[in-house]
Amino acid sequence: MSDVIAQLISLGHQYEEGPEIFKGVSFAIEKGSFQFLTGPSGSGKSSLLKMLYLGLRPTWGSIHLFGEDTLKIKPLLLPLLRQKIGVVFQEFKLLDHLKVVDNVSLPLRVRGLDSRRGYKQSQELLDWVGLGDCLESYPSSLSGGQKQRVAIARAVITRPQLLLADEPTGNVDDDMAMKLVYLFEELNRMGTAVLIATHNQRILKTFPHPQLVIKDGTIHTPKKELS
Amino acid sequence: MTSRQDLPLKTDIAARFVPKIVALMVYLGTLSFVFTLFLIESTFSWEKQLKTHLSIEIPTFPGTSPDALEGRVVEMLSKTPGVQTAQPVSQSEMKSLFQSIFGQEVNPDIMSLPIVIDVSLNGQEKVDPETLIALLKNISPYIHLVDHRIWQAQVFRVIQTTVIIASVITLLILCAALTITTFATRTSLLIHRQVIEVLSLIGAPSSYIAKQFQFNALKQGFIASSFGSLFAFFTFFGMATLLEKAELFSIAQSVFFFDSLFVFFLIPLLTSLSMMISARWAVMRELRP
Repeated sequence: MSDVIAQLISLGHQYEEGPEIFKGVSFAIEKGSFQFLTGPSGSGKSSLLKMLYLGLRPTWGSIHLFGEDTLKIKPLLLPLLRQKIGVVFQEFKLLDHLKVVDNVSLPLRVRGLDSRRGYKQSQELLDWVGLGDCLESYPSSLSGGQKQRVAIARAVITRPQLLLADEPTGNVDDDMAMKLVYLFEELNRMGTAVLIATHNQRILKTFPHPQLVIKDGTIHTPKKELS
Repeated sequence: MTSRQDLPLKTDIAARFVPKIVALMVYLGTLSFVFTLFLIESTFSWEKQLKTHLSIEIPTFPGTSPDALEGRVVEMLSKTPGVQTAQPVSQSEMKSLFQSIFGQEVNPDIMSLPIVIDVSLNGQEKVDPETLIALLKNISPYIHLVDHRIWQAQVFRVIQTTVIIASVITLLILCAALTITTFATRTSLLIHRQVIEVLSLIGAPSSYIAKQFQFNALKQGFIASSFGSLFAFFTFFGMATLLEKAELFSIAQSVFFFDSLFVFFLIPLLTSLSMMISARWAVMRELRP
């Protein structure tokens, strides 16, 4: 139990007048684990990730993150929990008025880190994702794939304990998609638990990590069913 | 690195009008505040100069001996508890006072000027004017007592009311500037909602986001209020020059009494600090879960 960093218990959610998208979902993310979250479009992959990064409150059930019940935690402590999580948003959520390098170093600034160190770290990471020559560019001048890589660099720069990625390979070619998953694996080897929402079958077949499949509002795994 | 701007607050619509309004508010507030200080200073200095609390007028009639009456009145006053001094106004002083009112061409010698005794009270013991009048009437039924404290008190009340009104106006101007800051901050929060959401999701505490707004407000406030204060200074300087030209130099000196100069430095500091606090308060309140 001590190795569990995130746990969803009997989670249910309904968007206002809409249908129930989850019916008592329960699963756990263990420290250092690597899992894929998959399922058909509209099954609720993004919503589930949103709940995990505390961007959406579930209608029922509870979410425990790093031993804290997120529905009962003091609001002042929420940022501390979020700082332990790296998120790659599906729609990137880059800040258009900031340069690429400043976008990547943003999580470091939020944590009050030294600017030179932040710049160097951002530079190294952007080199790694193949954007070393775009440091001073603005996101509006980048392609969808480049924006995706900037978003990934921003999510991993703090070496979070938990990385949530929502379709991180959706806008890149297959080679880059593989390279990005290798990056996630490398991060995972350093101790970060990774949960990637994807429906890229090639990735799912290439990388033999456990899969959580959302179907009919519940979670299934090919090996054992958790809910 | 933490002090850099992650929010594009410089490009806000609010950034265009808030400094102008704040500059105007500070200008008006400074004028009002310095005017208040001027009134307070003038009142204190006038109060210090006012040494005569009562005046006793002894009419002189042909065939009477005014000196004997004057002597008896001064003797009686010197024995009265609460009276500090009883100083007869000299005849030459009376004549010059008379001529200053009626003109130099009038000869005061042809008139029998009254004897005037200026009385100052020590303020420790209460002097009842009715009792004093009764004692004076025993000496001569024509002696007249003028109690200056009555009109002095009325003038002080008028000045005090003016000071209160001017202070309230200053406070209202400050409140208006702070309200504008709060509204501008709230508008900015709405404009940059998406950026703030991203910052929150990557773990920025509300205080980090508030810091961005508060430094912006501090900078805007300081620049705008410095301009407002500078214009107010030039206005007072212009007024002083005009007063000097109109040979009212003493008033001009009072307007620019040394102590009031600190106001022109203090107001920009206080305004910018208040704007900073107000912006922080608005952000923390809006981002409260």
